[in-house]
Amino acid sequence: METDDKSELLEEGAFTRPYLLTGGRTRSEAGELAVEAMIAVTKGSSPPADRDLAAIYSLCQTPNSIAEISAKCAMPLGVARVLVADLWGEGTLEVLETTRSDDIAIVRRLLDGIRNR
Amino acid sequence: MASEIDSQQRPVSAKIVISGGFGVGKTTFVSAVSEIAPLRTEAKMTSAASGVDDATFVQQKTSTTVAMDFGKITVEQGLVLYVFGTPGQDRFGFMWNDITAGALGALILVDTRRLDECFNAIDFFEERGVPFVIGLNQFDGAPQHSIDDIREALDLDRAVPIVRTDARGCETALETLVQLLTHVLQSLSAKAVAPPRPERPAPVVTDDMRSRAMSALATERSGA
Repeated sequence: METDDKSELLEEGAFTRPYLLTGGRTRSEAGELAVEAMIAVTKGSSPPADRDLAAIYSLCQTPNSIAEISAKCAMPLGVARVLVADLWGEGTLEVLETTRSDDIAIVRRLLDGIRNR
Repeated sequence: MASEIDSQQRPVSAKIVISGGFGVGKTTFVSAVSEIAPLRTEAKMTSAASGVDDATFVQQKTSTTVAMDFGKITVEQGLVLYVFGTPGQDRFGFMWNDITAGALGALILVDTRRLDECFNAIDFFEERGVPFVIGLNQFDGAPQHSIDDIREALDLDRAVPIVRTDARGCETALETLVQLLTHVLQSLSAKAVAPPRPERPAPVVTDDMRSRAMSALATERSGA
């Protein structure tokens, strides 16, 4: 399975790099992000020079969640969060709206949408 | 290369959680409802309980990968529902906080042959006031207990729905999601009438969780 292959890759090869990328930081100055928060490139921003940051930027041409970024860029969740938060902090990426857990209108829309599938 | 996101296309995202014991069918369920092949995201951490990162203890720590599988349903244009499976092992409970914070509700899958394995999940969501539904996953050869017997065995409140489901079937699984969201809606409506319970804090990853994850990376690095 593809996911298994990817996890093996992480185990054996690639994984010092993300840690080095964050400069050993475990949090970003910019703030906290939920795993389901969707990220998109900011209008008019330019792609970062760094290859891994550029990969995130490229992925977010279409909105992707933090969890998707972590999975698709094969970096641990915590690392993806820090890098995205940095790019968000400098205005290269923006964070789209997540729902509140008590938003009745959203639950109704979800319910209708799934019923009609 | 900048194809900007137009304001019409800014999706709002929501999240539900699929939980339960090890091997109960969480990932199968996620696959059944997801429009994309389930993705796997990982967090690295040490299994040592100590939060102290002292280099002299590095040799005694074992690093573990916790994998979370998740899927996605674009419910309508501009509204995306993420479906996250919790890691099966209880000792990674702190990852559950991360996945659960801000979730609308949870489905707890149960294998009737191993009823006790869902106790932790039930406690977890009860304590946090997250609305949940019990889904009895169909396993061939599993005993068919009555819903009442299961409710009694799990010591569950009448308000908590117990439904039969089959994680292997897309339609059955979607129907279970409908049952979960219906229950979430009822819980929210009841809450809107009753005095509000304190709102859960915004999704937060603690420094402790981060530093564990990062120190695991560092450990691997130095050990390699």
